[in-house]
Amino acid sequence: MKFFLRLGLILLAFCAIATALLAFVNSITQPRIELLKAEQERQARASLLPGVEFERVAQNVPGADSLIYYIGRAADTKEIKGYTFTAAKVGYSSTVKTMAAVDSEFKLLAIKVIEQAETPGLGANATAPTFTDQFKGLAPDQILVDKDGGQIKSLTGATITSRAIANSLTEQITAVRLDAEQRLTAPGNEEVTP
Amino acid sequence: MRFVSELSKGIIKENPIFVIVLGLCPTLAVSTSVNNAIGMGAAATFVLLCSNVIISLIKNVTPAKIRIPVYIVVIAAFVTVVDMMMAAYVPDLHKSLGLFIPLIVVNCIILGRAEAFASKNNLLNSLADGIGMGLGFTLSLVVVASIRELLGNGSWFGMRVLPSTYNPMLMAILAPGAFITLGFLMALMNMLKEKK
Repeated sequence: MKFFLRLGLILLAFCAIATALLAFVNSITQPRIELLKAEQERQARASLLPGVEFERVAQNVPGADSLIYYIGRAADTKEIKGYTFTAAKVGYSSTVKTMAAVDSEFKLLAIKVIEQAETPGLGANATAPTFTDQFKGLAPDQILVDKDGGQIKSLTGATITSRAIANSLTEQITAVRLDAEQRLTAPGNEEVTP
Repeated sequence: MRFVSELSKGIIKENPIFVIVLGLCPTLAVSTSVNNAIGMGAAATFVLLCSNVIISLIKNVTPAKIRIPVYIVVIAAFVTVVDMMMAAYVPDLHKSLGLFIPLIVVNCIILGRAEAFASKNNLLNSLADGIGMGLGFTLSLVVVASIRELLGNGSWFGMRVLPSTYNPMLMAILAPGAFITLGFLMALMNMLKEKK
């Protein structure tokens, strides 16, 4: 009994030291990682919908993650130029996150795949402009890959990844549109964080 | 002199991938491009070096019965340090290596060297062993990745080498390509060895 207690205590001591080390490193790196992430998202937003001021909107959705998107307004006239948001769906081997910008008519302006771990050489090609440029100008009901009757040419050998991106965009646009149009018709009862 | 031989043995004579055949999982997974190979190699070398040193230092206070859990704790701690550091300072590389950084924890080379070498040898030799094995691992990864990137993507280190008319051999980038490349390289190593 005593022997096993001793083993347990030694292991505990090693774990305690390791944890202390990790807590220390984390305290150094955590703020930097957060900063990098925020900066990356800001840059991605600005490159997708250039020349506008962004307003962050967070809407609580019962039973799901809250819906977050940004309204882009012209700096001078405050006219709504478009919206940006992040769409995510499970692809072949990872969750594929795509950032997209739509105009005020909810037609796609540009998309950018910001996070994925799909198969290198196949699904991972989703980040290439040759693929993402195809989404430009599509209306929400046109965002379909060729196998589903749309015009988007799927990536070779990676229909699942292509489909995940297309479907995630359609879903997210629908959600954003619903919320944005409600806001336009009924201003006042909203929770807007600048 | 022992220091030098412990250092150099990892590169050819006891190369972790081609001769000891350890750590094949990350080898197959990240050798799709030379860039990834170097990043993975550097991260694994750092972990190998640190864990070898620490394990050599604590070998007398670690009871034999719980040595494996202790080694894993040491290795996992260093891997997490590397993971966080890379995310903070080289975010692009961290992104492309993705899942494979945390998986260094279960890389058999690192636990293998801890058990087979660092737990039985002094600090200096363990340090040499860590560096040597790390270099051997990195070099092997680069060789495999060079072949796969060239055949499967027509480029080397991200630079286009073959003309754009070259139709990439997609299989080289996929998992079977890694096995086949590795098989050919091992055969080549054995052939050279027998000639000697």
